[in-house]
Amino acid sequence: MKIAVCVKHVVDETELKVDPGGNPQLKGAATKMSAFDKNAVEEALRLKAARQGEVVIVTVGTPEAKKTMKEALAMGADRGVLVSADPMAMDARRTAELLAAALKKGGPYDMVLCSEGSSDMYSGLVPPMVGEILGLPYVGYARKIEVSGQAAKVERALEDSVELVEAPTPLVVSVVSEINEPRYPTLIQIMQAGKKPMEELSPDALIPDAPKSASLVRGMKAQAMARKRVVFEGPPEETAKKLVEALAAEGVLPR
Amino acid sequence: MSVKVWAFSESPSVANEVASSASSIAKAAGGSFVVVGLDDCGPLLAGDEKVVLKSDAPLSTSPEATADALARFAKEANPDIVLVGSTRDGKEIASRTAVKLGRPCVSEVFGAFLADGMLQGKRNVFAGKLVAEVALPLPCVVALKVGTTSALPASAVKAEEKAMGPLPSRTKLVEMREKQKGTVDLKGAKLIVAAGRGVKKKEDLALVSELASALGGAVGCSRPLSADMGWLPEEHHIGLTGVTVHPDLYIAVGISGQLQHVAGIKDSKVIAAVNTDKSAPMFEFSDYGVVGDLYAVLPAMLKEIKARRQ
Repeated sequence: MKIAVCVKHVVDETELKVDPGGNPQLKGAATKMSAFDKNAVEEALRLKAARQGEVVIVTVGTPEAKKTMKEALAMGADRGVLVSADPMAMDARRTAELLAAALKKGGPYDMVLCSEGSSDMYSGLVPPMVGEILGLPYVGYARKIEVSGQAAKVERALEDSVELVEAPTPLVVSVVSEINEPRYPTLIQIMQAGKKPMEELSPDALIPDAPKSASLVRGMKAQAMARKRVVFEGPPEETAKKLVEALAAEGVLPR
Repeated sequence: MSVKVWAFSESPSVANEVASSASSIAKAAGGSFVVVGLDDCGPLLAGDEKVVLKSDAPLSTSPEATADALARFAKEANPDIVLVGSTRDGKEIASRTAVKLGRPCVSEVFGAFLADGMLQGKRNVFAGKLVAEVALPLPCVVALKVGTTSALPASAVKAEEKAMGPLPSRTKLVEMREKQKGTVDLKGAKLIVAAGRGVKKKEDLALVSELASALGGAVGCSRPLSADMGWLPEEHHIGLTGVTVHPDLYIAVGISGQLQHVAGIKDSKVIAAVNTDKSAPMFEFSDYGVVGDLYAVLPAMLKEIKARRQ
């Protein structure tokens, strides 16, 4: 079974600093593999373990994205494909087009795995777009995947229901984080990851004469979160009393 | 400029919200709006014009077939803006439709309006730490964040039926289980007490629900408690991938304050937190905090609340 996993190298939202004017300091910010992508990599490795095959990591990113690529390779993926372009400078459709072109070039794959959304933009558009561009079925928000023969049985976690759907391979699947617990690579795996093959592709070679694409984002500002941040410390009876009094003074306690 | 706006959602409860945004965008631009629905999703309530898409098989069980129907109809009627509810299935429908039509697409948009010939709006990014302003040239497809506009009242307009012919779907729905439904509606709750990892055992949730009921509020939780532990049904999960709430008072009990959780509570009027860890990020996002063990603080709060009533 040949499985591709689409991952994204992102700015770490927990480390992202904002200046007093509310502007994010994206340059030089700490980066990481998008949070739920690890679940997608883990699921690919799990499926491979049961059926043999190959796990290929595909990403659209700047040279820095190699960090995320190496992490996925250290987890156990076999090789990587990096499309050298900045996803922040394009819209979801162009990212999906580039991923689809890279998947077509290196395919055919039996399954393309993604996470439900990236931890920076959280659009959730790229996985179904990849499905649409490649003419493949897409099953989103998977919390359990079983493959038998040429078919996948997937449990989908929706807002108010859980669906069990069947779709033929090849297909695109996005996963939610509760599907598994991503493994931590060992030191030896981390050291060996650098030796695994990593192919770099130019976007112009993948899609020649592509029309210009630009980000649809005009700007980003910090959320105004002006909270009072009054903190009470001391014995529970005292702090509880102070808290209840404060909340009553705010007029938010029922009378 | 006269624009044609479509409002669509495969979810009947979301459809009227999308209709409300479509209506205000169309009205401001002197245009018209059409509410588009699916034949097996129940009657459309709102809309100046209503169109119901029909196929040989029920469309609502397949986002793939639904997108096919929507895109085919859009090619015929050529709406400037297609608004879709940004549900989980809605994002697939919007994505596929946008690619089929060759249009730009953005999801989870709120506060959408039309200016300078662009559909503009905002969306939360970086787990809600930042707000991005987006602008899409027309024609476009935009998935609107659920729960950000009030529903449009029902209209007496009769829906027109539109037969789309056979629309094959490769994904087959085998089984659907409704998630366990509680009695609470967190989206509309005025007061919420939410539990996090600081609660050590499932049985100890009783402490949290006792406080909630003493205050006439609802019980919520952070993601680990519903998704990983399964202590509470998914509908109690507040945060980026769960429910967005806006109560008058939000009390976070034993919640560390991950950005993904805070993303769902931003619009609360007053936020209070109880946590043993003084450096928990939750205190940064709170108006009032108590550093202490919830197993001691909650009973003391209950006692205090009861004493005040007498």
